[in-house]
Parts: sequence; C-alpha cells; structure tokens
Amino acid sequence: MPAMTYLQAISDAMREEMRADERVFVMGEDIAVFGGAFKVTDGFLDEFGPARVMDTPLAESGIVGCAIGAACEGLRPVAEMQFADFVSCGFDQLVNVAGKMFYRQGLSVNITVRLPSGGGFSGGPFHSQNPEAWFMHSPGLKVVAPSTPEDAKGLLIRAIRDPNPVVFLEHKHLYRRVRGEVPAGRYETEFGARIARPGSDLVVIAHGAMVHTALEATEDSEASIEVLDLRSLVPLDEAAILDSVRRCSKVVVVDEANQTCAAGAQVAALIAQHGWEDLDGPVVRVGSPDVPIPFSPPLEQAVLPQPDDIREAVRELLDY
Amino acid sequence: MRRMATETAQTDGDVPAEITAHLTLEDRVGLLRAMLLMRGIEERAMMLYRQGKVPGSFYDGFGQEAVSAGPAWAMHGHDRLCVLHRDLAAHLIRGVEPARIFAQYMGREAGITRGRDGNVHFGERRVGCVGMVSMLPDMMLVATGLGMAFKLRGERRAALTWFGDGSTSRGDFHEAMNWAGVQRLPVIFVLENNQYAYSTPTAGQFAVDPVERAATYGFPGVKVDGNDVEAMFEATRVARERALAGDGATMIEAVTMRMHGHAAHDDMKYVPTEQIEEWRRKDPIDRQVRRLEPLGVDVAALRDEVRAEIEAAVAEALAGPMPDGATATERVFAEAPALLEDGASPWSGF
Amino acid sequence: MSSSTTDLTMPQMGVSVAEGTVVEWRKQVGDWVEADEVIASISTDKIDTDVEAPATGRLAEIMVAEGETVAVGAVLARIATDAPAEAEANGSSSGGGTSEADVALEAPGEAGELQGDTGRPGQAPLSRVVARGRAGSARFSPVVARMAAEHDLDLAQIEGTGRNGRVRKQDVLAHLERSAAPEPPMHIESPYRPDPPAPAQAPVSADGPAGASLSRMRRTIGRAMVESLHTAATCTTIAEADMTRVAAARKALGTSFLPLVARATVETLRAFPALNATLEGETYTRYDDRVHLGIAVSLGDTEPASPAGTGEQGLIVPVIRDAQELSVEGLATRIRDLAERARAGDLSPDEVRGGTFTITNPGGYGSILATPVINQPQVAILDTEAVVKRPVVITDALGEDAIAIRQMTYLCLSWDHRALDGALAARFLRALGERLEGWPLP
Repeated sequence: MPAMTYLQAISDAMREEMRADERVFVMGEDIAVFGGAFKVTDGFLDEFGPARVMDTPLAESGIVGCAIGAACEGLRPVAEMQFADFVSCGFDQLVNVAGKMFYRQGLSVNITVRLPSGGGFSGGPFHSQNPEAWFMHSPGLKVVAPSTPEDAKGLLIRAIRDPNPVVFLEHKHLYRRVRGEVPAGRYETEFGARIARPGSDLVVIAHGAMVHTALEATEDSEASIEVLDLRSLVPLDEAAILDSVRRCSKVVVVDEANQTCAAGAQVAALIAQHGWEDLDGPVVRVGSPDVPIPFSPPLEQAVLPQPDDIREAVRELLDY
Repeated sequence: MRRMATETAQTDGDVPAEITAHLTLEDRVGLLRAMLLMRGIEERAMMLYRQGKVPGSFYDGFGQEAVSAGPAWAMHGHDRLCVLHRDLAAHLIRGVEPARIFAQYMGREAGITRGRDGNVHFGERRVGCVGMVSMLPDMMLVATGLGMAFKLRGERRAALTWFGDGSTSRGDFHEAMNWAGVQRLPVIFVLENNQYAYSTPTAGQFAVDPVERAATYGFPGVKVDGNDVEAMFEATRVARERALAGDGATMIEAVTMRMHGHAAHDDMKYVPTEQIEEWRRKDPIDRQVRRLEPLGVDVAALRDEVRAEIEAAVAEALAGPMPDGATATERVFAEAPALLEDGASPWSGF
Repeated sequence: MSSSTTDLTMPQMGVSVAEGTVVEWRKQVGDWVEADEVIASISTDKIDTDVEAPATGRLAEIMVAEGETVAVGAVLARIATDAPAEAEANGSSSGGGTSEADVALEAPGEAGELQGDTGRPGQAPLSRVVARGRAGSARFSPVVARMAAEHDLDLAQIEGTGRNGRVRKQDVLAHLERSAAPEPPMHIESPYRPDPPAPAQAPVSADGPAGASLSRMRRTIGRAMVESLHTAATCTTIAEADMTRVAAARKALGTSFLPLVARATVETLRAFPALNATLEGETYTRYDDRVHLGIAVSLGDTEPASPAGTGEQGLIVPVIRDAQELSVEGLATRIRDLAERARAGDLSPDEVRGGTFTITNPGGYGSILATPVINQPQVAILDTEAVVKRPVVITDALGEDAIAIRQMTYLCLSWDHRALDGALAARFLRALGERLEGWPLP
C-alpha cells in the first residue's frame, strides 16, 4: 500500500474519480495553470485539459452557483474555495440554493465544495477559520472532515459520488504534516466516525487536526484514553458517540473552531440528552475562545487548543 | 447595443402585424393561449387566495404575460429554464398541468413542491425547469452553470433565466454576467424591467440603463417591447441561435409594466395612475388578440376553452389532500440522482 | 400541575372575517365548564354570536378581556380538561418551581466569571463545578446511580476515590468484582430452598395436559368477538381482485400493499356511504365523507409460547381519523406510526375509538380467505388476504381470450345484515376491485 501525505491523498481521490467518471470536473481559483494555491491539483491540467480543470473568475458565489447549475444537468463538479474562509462569499448559493433544492423541488444537486480550513501557521483571521458549524446548521448540506490521508481519499470519493451537496473540510495544517498508508485505486469511506485509539477510562471526541492533537496529548497517559474521530459532522454518527460514552463514561469534546455553537456543542448536547445515564462526570469542552484567530504566534497559540490544554482537561476529568 | 424595430411601437397600443416569419398561425395562437391561460390561472388563484384557500402570499405577472410566453416558446424542450415569479406562462408552455399549479398554490400534496415551498417558488425538474429561490438573482448563476455544462459537453443547447430590474443591484447579477461573458456561455439573460422592484422605481435601482451594461461584460444587450409576445419570441430565437453557434450570451431587456402590486398584499399606491393607464393600453393579451382576430382566429372560443380548462383544474386541485405533517422531515437528502429532464417543444420551428 | 388543556379560539365567522371582539364572558376562571355549553359571546363584522366550549373541564385561563378585539384563530381562553371535577379552583399554577431558580441566582458570580474568562473556556476547574451543586442535588453520577440500581447496591457502603471522596464508576466496578466471589455459606445454613409457589392451575383432566387461564388481553378480545357475533347478523362476501398494477405501484413507492388498499377503500366508501357507518342498538349513523379508518395491528407473537397457551400477545385497532384527507404516502406514514406505538403500548384512548370502518390484513402469513368478525359498532370490516400469482383468463380489446399470470387476491368483506343487504356488499367489493385493478401505473 503506498504511503502518501494527506494532501496527496486528496489529489489522488479527485484524480481517480476524474479518470473513471467523465462527469467529474474541478473548478476554482488558480487551480489549473497554477495547480492550486496548495498545489492540490498540480498536474491536473495536463492530464485532463482546461474544460475539466477550470480556472474560474474570482467569484465564490459564481463558483458555487455555476457548480449547482452544472450538477442539475448531471455533471459532478468539485469546487474549491481557495481558503475555507472565503466560502462566506458563496454562502447564499450554498445554503439557500444547493441545500434546499432537493427538499423543495426534488432536484438533486451533486456538488462537492472543498474548504482548506484551519489555522496554526500565522494565517491570520481570514485564512485560519473552521466554518463547519455554519453548514451543519443548514439543512440539506452534508459536512465531512477527515483527519487521516486514508480517510481524506475515501471520504472525498464518497462525497463526489453523493447526490447531495457535500462540504469537505480539508485541514491545511495536515496537508504535508500527516502521512499514512492509502489504498490504491478507488474506494469509498462511509460517512461515519472511527475509533482512532480505543480506551475505557475517558473518551476524547474530535475531528480534523484536533484528532492528532488529542492523540498526542493522551499517548502518555496512565489511564486508558479513547480518541473518537468523528470524520463526518452531517450525518453525525450518534451511535458511535453514544457507544464510546457508554463504555468510557467521561467525555472531553474538542473543537479547533470558535467554541460557541461549534460542532462540539452539538456533540455535547447529544450526549447530555441521550447519554445521560452513562455519564460519570460533566461533558467537558475544549475549543478556541470566541475571537478572530490572531496572526502573531504567541497570540495564535494562546487561542488554538494545544496538546497541554487537552491534557489538562483530561487529567481533571479523570480525577473527578 | 442593438435595438429591435419594435422599440418605436412602445409608445402606442398597437404592434406591427408581423414581427417575424418564423411563427405559423398555430404558433401565434399558441402564444395567445399560453398568455390567456396564465392570466386566467392567476386571476382564479387570486380569488382562491382571498377565500383563504391559498396560504402565505400570492404573486402574479398580470400585464407581463408576454415576457415569459415569448421566450419560453423559442426554447427547445432540451434547453433549460430558470423561471421567476411572474413567469407562469413558461411553466405552462413546458408542460406543467394547471391542476398541479393550483395544488401548488394551495400547499397540497399534488403541488409541484408537495407543499415544501409556496406560490411560484417551484420548478418541475421533469420538464427542465429549475425552481427559484427568494434571494434574487441567485438563479442567474444557476443558469450560467447550466450553460457551462452544455459547453463542457459540446452540446447545442442553451439556458435561459429571467430576473427583475431590482435584482440587478445584487452581486450575483455581476458574477453571472461576467462569468457568462468570460467563458462565452450559451445563456440568455432576460431582464424583466417592469419599472418597479416592490415600491422602488428603476430610478432608484440603476444609474445606467442595464441593457447598456451587457457590452461591458462582452456580449450584446437588446431592448425589446416586453408586451409584444412575438417580439419577445423573436429576440429569444435570435439569442438562442447565437448561443448554439458558440457565440455566447445575450441579455434581453424586456420593457414592461407590473400592473398589480408586488404581491396580493400590496395595493401599489406608489405608482402614478397615469403610468398604469398608459400601460393598460399596451396590454400584451389585447395586442395579440388584435393581431389574430383579423386573421379569422375565434378568440372567444379560445377564451371559453381556457376558462373550462381552468375550472376543471381548480376542481381537481381542490379535491386533493393536504400533505401529512409527519412527512415534513422526509426527503431532505437524495438517495439517488434526480436530474433535469426535457420539457415540451411546441414551436413549429423545432 | 395540570398538563392537559384545550384552547378556545376566536372562530372565523365568514371567509373574509379576520377578527372578532369578545363581548361577554359567561364563565369565569375557575368555573367548571361542560362541552358545548355557552362560554362567551362575540361580535364580528358579519355576525354576533355565542361561542360554545370545545371541551369539558375547568376554565383555567382567560387571555382576552371583554371588549378586546383579536384576530381569527387567537386563543381566547384555556380549559383544563383533566382537572378533577370536585377540586377547588387552583388560581395560581406556578407552584413550587421557584426554589431552584433562587439558588441559581445566589451564585451569579460563577457564570459571570466563566463567560468573561479570557482563559480557555471549558477549563474552569472542576472543583468549582462540584461546589456549585445545589442543596439536595444528587451526590452520585447517573451511571453510578444506574449501576447501583441494577445490582441492588448500597452506595453508602462503597468507598469513593474521586474528588472529595466521590464514588466513581470504577469504584462501583471494583466493588462488584470483589463481591462476585461467592461467600462461603455459614455452617448452620442448609442448602435447602423451598420451591417457588406454583401458578394458579385450571382443573386438570385425568390424562390430558394441564390448562391455564387466559391472559387479560385474550379475555378482552374474546369478549368483544363473542359480543360482535351475537349482536350482528354477520355475513361474509368475497370478491377477487387483480392486484398486478397495485403491486407495481407499491413497489415504486416502497410500501406494503396496505396503504394503497386503504386509500382505495376510503375512496370507494365515499360512493357507498352505507358501509361507512355504525349501528348501536337501533341507532344507525352514517359518516358520509368522513372515514375514520381502523387498522388492525397484531401485537406480535415474539413471546415464546406461555402457559396461557396461545403464544400471541393480541390485537388492537388504532383509528386513523379523517383518513380521506391522506394520500397513499400519508396513510403509509400514519399506519407505520400507529403500529409502532400500538406495539409499544403508547396509544391514547382517543386513538382506539370512533372508527367507522376497519381493515385487517393478515395476508402476510399466506392465507387466502377469511371470515373476519365485525368491529362493533361498525357495520362492515374488510379483510385483505395474501396476494398470490395465479394464471387467469384475460380478454383483450378484440375479445380474444388468453391465459396470463397475474397477482390476485381475495377481498373478504364481513357485513351486518341488519344494516344492509348482500347486493350492496357485493357492489362495494366490485367497485373496490375495479379501483384496485385500474390503479395508475407509476
């Protein structure tokens, strides 16, 4: 099995699907000639040509809206927002046109919107956001956030094939930092959670880059700490979450995003209501405070959850 | 900027006897029929609204029937339409049954959206129509995307979208026009300039006549008498040929007047009565009738036929059940693709 | 605190009427009110009129004062329908719910500190969380309390190793492990344990198996069946129907046959209102357009055969009110919901009353004919049996006969000869059959 980075796995997913299915095409700013701001689509123009590797005008609403139109005619566009942060310019098309189309009109909209998300490298407020909560809250959109290269490829292939609009959060900080074995060829990963490390004394629930931070923070613990990688936010794998709660009874939920109404808030609410009888302590959340993600390293590190923050939360809850 | 010969006819009630050689007598009667059906349905539905059978709000295109009938007639069944709220004739020409439209207004199970969206927020995907959203003009981008798909696949098909004067103030107007111009896409943009966006006259909406902006995006803009159904047809036919030839987009500014309020709850007191009177003399249905009666068409019989069709449709719609509340959370996500399919192609030229 | 109320709303006296004015309240808060008793008088643009109470109970609240004008549909008053008839009027309903709020207010600083904290949220030391516990709050977490209940443990006996001596889940687990080892019996204890008392036995025949008495459900069902057969002049008429088109339609919809048969039945009943009726003693009541459709639900035979001998749990007939207003999909959803709640024992009394016609369909088990018992006081019941592929004769447009394989079923209608005659029953079945045979293709 080849080993590749998280970024290469994402490229591989699109390449495999584009080779096998002529309906799939990619569109976004600077993705063709330049190969993409992060080089995810490097080499695609040569292999697939300018019709299927489209450099678009600087127009996020246009990118999402045109992707919708193309999808209504049976094409399968994979639209890239150059940074997750810029999806706000295409919010209306995504939430009101794409998300609501099937419910109202019975017309399916197969678009995949890739969002390079997350911070940790002095990107500042407009290049570091994790906007998944906006889209979890919008009916009709699916939201996935892989943490490993294998899942990045499998979930993206699954997303491209899904007849519904899927928001795909690829964490920039993982692009080149995380390597792993990735099966060759085409395979799908079902939208659901995965146990990153099994345990029994406490479970840390996370997604995206925070899965790695959680694993790092708890690998030396004397207690048996489970780490649950959500992978999919809509649909949320309620069964897996409640199963971990039942076995471990103590829960720490981690978000890199600003904590108010982040994905973890929904997880915590779910546990409070449906996992109540299995709890041996309060559901503890770790997240960024509600501030724009700052640029200067000491400020950014104070805001984004660090391994020590998770370690501390876990230690306290274990002692409770 | 090209101007149609009919522009000079906008100042009086009559229109040239013949605009184009591309319409047979059947076509011309078909256009009138579509407009009569649209007006008849909307009048009847307004009555149902006042009787409490239509929930929410009610919008109509009274006085603007030619703006949707003409262009829809010029589009082939395999073309695609993004239909707006005063364009009912387009749905009818594509093949949507009046009974389902009444059911849609009344929020019944048999409506096109099965009660999930109201009034004119519908599009029957099975006849190639995409239903609108309330954020205008979002659908201009969807139409641009449809054109993009045709171009990517090398197909000789076009997409057409309607949008209003007010909506040209929003960013999506610019993004769509620009994208269509840059990529030279087979899209026809029909701007329904009906003089008012709710209570805002066009003077509050643009500093430049929008038809002049098309050139800045790289394609022609054409100003057309929006109340002459055959002129609207002809302008669209020409634009469609342009698109199919690979020459890109066209913007058609249809000059018309919104004769009723923005919606049933608006009494349009802000419109000067002289303006309404002036436009009443240019009623698109009256004009088409004046064209066809000298040719021996029995308009009275046509009106009776349309009336009967409408009454039967109302009865059918009223007999249908309301949707079951327990189904409200179903079908948010598709299990399998459900795409746009082809509609009717009634024009004799196809 | 009473939780069951019925609202009295401003009626719409005419299509264009949008509002009305309360002229006079004939009852006051605290008064007992009978259903249909005049409770107020109102005035509208079209008409002045009295308003009757929609339910029996105690007038709990008046929202709109005399002289006030409100929109059609606005709530005028609330009637507590489960208030006891003899109780004193309970003016204030905000009983003892304030003490918790008071305690929370006593510690405002806590919440304020957490909110304004520029430190990491969610990192407030847990000692603060524990200390914030209100007087009388549980000292044991939910999982600990549950495990104690499950294993019948006295938590006071378990040593807690958590914060402040808290008993934690692992403490309970450890305790259970230690006590799993069996205690050796004291030497004076004898191993004898008396047999559990034998269940009540019916008289035993000399050489047959022992009988036992029937469960309460079985006795209730039995009484109803016997009464029905003794009261009604029960006859059964059977007709054949070609369900091939219905089979295609139901497959396209992804449901069983039942919702489609139900819809067809409802539509046919509108043409044969004599069958959509009840007969109680001498009183025959027709419901015309309104069909309150009962659907027989088997409560499953998941229990192994009990000493009561039948293995089944029984039968109940929930009612879909105004089934004529539901489409096939609507009926499918409602049937599914009622069946689930019936099996969970979760139906309200109103949901098993007031039916005007019943459908029972045990056809899933393969039987082809049945003679159902009428669900009193209705006058008819339809039993749909298995849909089976059979060779049948088909006559084409030219009058030529051929054999074709079609999906056939028997529609079995039991009906009360006191209320109607066989010809009507047969015509109803034929009309229903034609409706099913002509089902539009998906």
